[in-house]
Amino acid sequence: MVGVIRRMHHLKDILALRTGPGAAILPENVSRIHIEFCHRMNGGHMGPRKFWQENLPKIKFWNPAVPIIVNRLEILDGPAKMTIYFRDNQKSAPSTQSTIQLNSSSTGTSPAPVPADGERTVVVDMKARHSTEILSDFLALTSAVPVKATPQEDIEMRELEDLKRRGEIDRAETRKTLEAERREKARLALAMNEAASIKAAAT
Amino acid sequence: MASTSQCIASLARLSIATATRRPTPSIIPKLLLPSVVTPSFVRHASGSGSGGMRKRAPKKKKTYKAFRSYDQSDLEQYSLCDAMRYLRAFEVGQPPHIIKYEVHVKLKAQKNGPVVRNRIRFPFAVKSDTRIGVICPEDSPMMEEARQLGAVAVGEESLFESIRAGNFPFNKLICHTDSKEALKKANVGKLLGPKGLMPSERHGTITSNLKATIGEMIGSDEYRERDGVVRMAIGQLGFSPQMLADNLKAVMETIKRDMDGIIEDGHPKSLDEVVLSTTHGPAFSLNGKFNPTDEKIQPQDLQSAM
Repeated sequence: MVGVIRRMHHLKDILALRTGPGAAILPENVSRIHIEFCHRMNGGHMGPRKFWQENLPKIKFWNPAVPIIVNRLEILDGPAKMTIYFRDNQKSAPSTQSTIQLNSSSTGTSPAPVPADGERTVVVDMKARHSTEILSDFLALTSAVPVKATPQEDIEMRELEDLKRRGEIDRAETRKTLEAERREKARLALAMNEAASIKAAAT
Repeated sequence: MASTSQCIASLARLSIATATRRPTPSIIPKLLLPSVVTPSFVRHASGSGSGGMRKRAPKKKKTYKAFRSYDQSDLEQYSLCDAMRYLRAFEVGQPPHIIKYEVHVKLKAQKNGPVVRNRIRFPFAVKSDTRIGVICPEDSPMMEEARQLGAVAVGEESLFESIRAGNFPFNKLICHTDSKEALKKANVGKLLGPKGLMPSERHGTITSNLKATIGEMIGSDEYRERDGVVRMAIGQLGFSPQMLADNLKAVMETIKRDMDGIIEDGHPKSLDEVVLSTTHGPAFSLNGKFNPTDEKIQPQDLQSAM
């Protein structure tokens, strides 16, 4: 296993998913989210994919109880849709256990389910749109509350950035010395080769 | 230099009058002194002073007898539910029965000696991709039995045909003792052998008790220590925290039992660190606690559909 400090630096960098675009707490009435797009990005599926990769983890982190189902289709030119399910506050909330539990699929086997009793849906077309647009639509539709970074997290972020900057400088320096060493070695090898050939020619 | 100043200090303590006196330098010029007596202030690279660089033997790389163990004071550790919350966020939108939770158990162990190695039956089965093929006489009661036990491909000559055609619908293959001769004659060893599928008595895959063998194959997982770490999958992404905790407990108990068995042989091993990760997620060192630190999150929140 790798040393502890290096591991922790890397982990802290990764755990930036607590903050940033998408870190928001959804209101109570959002019952589940269904997202559907294609494997291939041509045909306007890059935005949805980036939304899934960059923003969805942050949403999932702050709302672990909300099922987020991603259905990736294997066809070439399919739809790219997000379905947000809201439960009505008046009626008793449909328990998630009673509805059929759908799982994410990478083979297109989980199409958007029909809304249960006491549920309404809003469909967003994501095709050929940038992930930031999709996110702002999503946040506006659900009226989610963005999560701000705590001062502690801000300090940590700044420290990490410092570390990265210093690392970049150090790396450049090391590269320079290494390259000089290699050049020297190559020149020496060339000279030795020439000397050997001269020697061979003389005898 | 230190000795002279010490000397001066001690002299000063004796009498102030003599304090200013310095030790008299020798009257004989340095040149005239025999070379042996001359205090040499010049340091030579080689001890003998004969001049010239002497090649040193290449530095030997230091070898360690035990696997490296790190100081864990800077290590951030997480409770099981906290780690699961992060990992579920990282794996959002992935099929939950394909993505697995993995555990990495680091041991304090010597590099030589026996390794921890065993088979475990989990309280909640982890593997979701075991496809078993059974070679047994066509149209026999064994064929029906194998089908009922969950075999995907059953038969004798029909199965050999599909193997020769390069079609492997299974990733585990067992053979009934009645079909042993047919398997020998079928001449499929060259195709099955490289994939590690060829049934053999030594591996217990030529059997007369299909039920026991298939049950063993579906429900149990093997693990072994490599480089001082036991790595294995302990759950599917769709598992609840309690299910994962049960599986983790089962693993830790068997590993501890294995370690105790090895200690008796005089090769002490002890637990160093337990790390949880997933197929695509980062690794979290566990602190042995269960509940989430965020009081807004309950363990049952971490079992929603993925």
